[in-house]
Amino acid sequence: MTTFETTAKLLAERLEVDINTVQPETELQSLGADSLSIMELIFDLEEEFKISLGDERPSLVTVQDIVNHIDKYIKLAAEKTA
Amino acid sequence: MERVVITGLGAISALGLGADKNFEQAFAGQSGIDYLNLSINRKIEHCVAAQIKFQLPEMVKRAELSLFDRFAMLGWIAASEALRQSGISQESTLLENSGVFWGTGIGGAQTLENSYVDLFIEGKNQVRPLSIIAGMNNSPAAQIAMKCGFGGTVNTYSSACVSSAQAIGEAYRHIRHGYANRILAGGSEAQLTFGIVSAWESMRVLAKARPAQPEQSCRPFAANRTGLVLGEAGAAVMLESLSSAQERGATILAELAGYGSSNDATHMTNPNPAGQARAMEMALTTAGLSRSDIAYINAHGAGTPAGDLTETDSIKRVFGYHANNLMISSTKSVHGHALGAAAALEFVLTVQALRSGSIPPTAFLTEPDPMCDLDYVPVQGRSNQPITAAMSNSFAFGGSNAALIVTKFR
Repeated sequence: MTTFETTAKLLAERLEVDINTVQPETELQSLGADSLSIMELIFDLEEEFKISLGDERPSLVTVQDIVNHIDKYIKLAAEKTA
Repeated sequence: MERVVITGLGAISALGLGADKNFEQAFAGQSGIDYLNLSINRKIEHCVAAQIKFQLPEMVKRAELSLFDRFAMLGWIAASEALRQSGISQESTLLENSGVFWGTGIGGAQTLENSYVDLFIEGKNQVRPLSIIAGMNNSPAAQIAMKCGFGGTVNTYSSACVSSAQAIGEAYRHIRHGYANRILAGGSEAQLTFGIVSAWESMRVLAKARPAQPEQSCRPFAANRTGLVLGEAGAAVMLESLSSAQERGATILAELAGYGSSNDATHMTNPNPAGQARAMEMALTTAGLSRSDIAYINAHGAGTPAGDLTETDSIKRVFGYHANNLMISSTKSVHGHALGAAAALEFVLTVQALRSGSIPPTAFLTEPDPMCDLDYVPVQGRSNQPITAAMSNSFAFGGSNAALIVTKFR
């Protein structure tokens, strides 16, 4: 699964929304997410992709923002192991 | 000073879901005690507990679940029942004169244990991000306040086994002195984790399981009592000033007439009859009642050899000859000792006993201890008892004592 697909799946499960409503440009707030549920989601994504996001606290407004944030660290992790 | 009345009850324990179900089971002497199942793959040999083994009702959205330790969920289940019965609308605007006073002994035990499993067993280097807010002791009070829109005083009391008696009692004082119109008060506890139960086990205060009848392992006031049985529960009462309840035409279930609190100030664990007596006497004084007005006491009666003997002594000190007329029972024989939720659960049962005139028994009290020589309503509950006032006692490690008095509303 791509980062987006995984993110969308977890968001849909956690927030009890139809997965089709979760699109890259969808605003997290409109799905019913708040700062705490996003924190939980990020934690699950860290475990899913076996990465550590450290102490960075970016502003995450849309689903794509999360995807970009995760992809950045997946890339960094890949570079480290390479 | 304002009079304080009760307009809602809520309870969940090993006896079942709902205040009525809990009272029916307690009155029938139906025990919720059985062998303990731990959530992790470990076993504590011969350990019984009053564990809630049924599925909890779905009370919150999935997105909120990580915010709720089990003790907060038990709290919200009980509190929402009391709120519903009181008829106070959850959708109403923020109620500034409404608060939540809650008790817990251990707090978010499961959350804490999960964190330790992650770190020390699984070798992870981080724990779930909401562990602090899910596990903190004031988590149930905060959740209840948010869900009810109660924007007044929201306090948490943590004094081991008297936590929720203090929560209810201090709420009573708060309303009496005009600081709030209504307070959802109670307590919740979910302490049946490997770490916490092991710690209790090490203190050598837990009852030995009766192999053939594990449900009969808790035997307060009996000659063959061997200790307490841990439990988990949530219980709540909606307390209101009489003027507030009357103004909105609420159904008044009973009056919370008196509260007394004290500390032994002598020993961390050894109970002290003088300290216990001070709490009961203070409750009688604040209620303006004489000793002979009390017909029933829901005892602390945890089932420990020293504790039950001391309570018998302290009741005699306070009530004198009238102690022989009292009906006294320990419902812990069926719902175990739910620590920070114990007092609230027993108070809910006491209110129901008063209202129905049905006294729940001390179940399984078939072999009386000659040193415990009062009427503990052994084995069988009693119906059609014309009682107008009842007391609920709670005593704790740390020397804290509390007594609550409930009367019929007139």
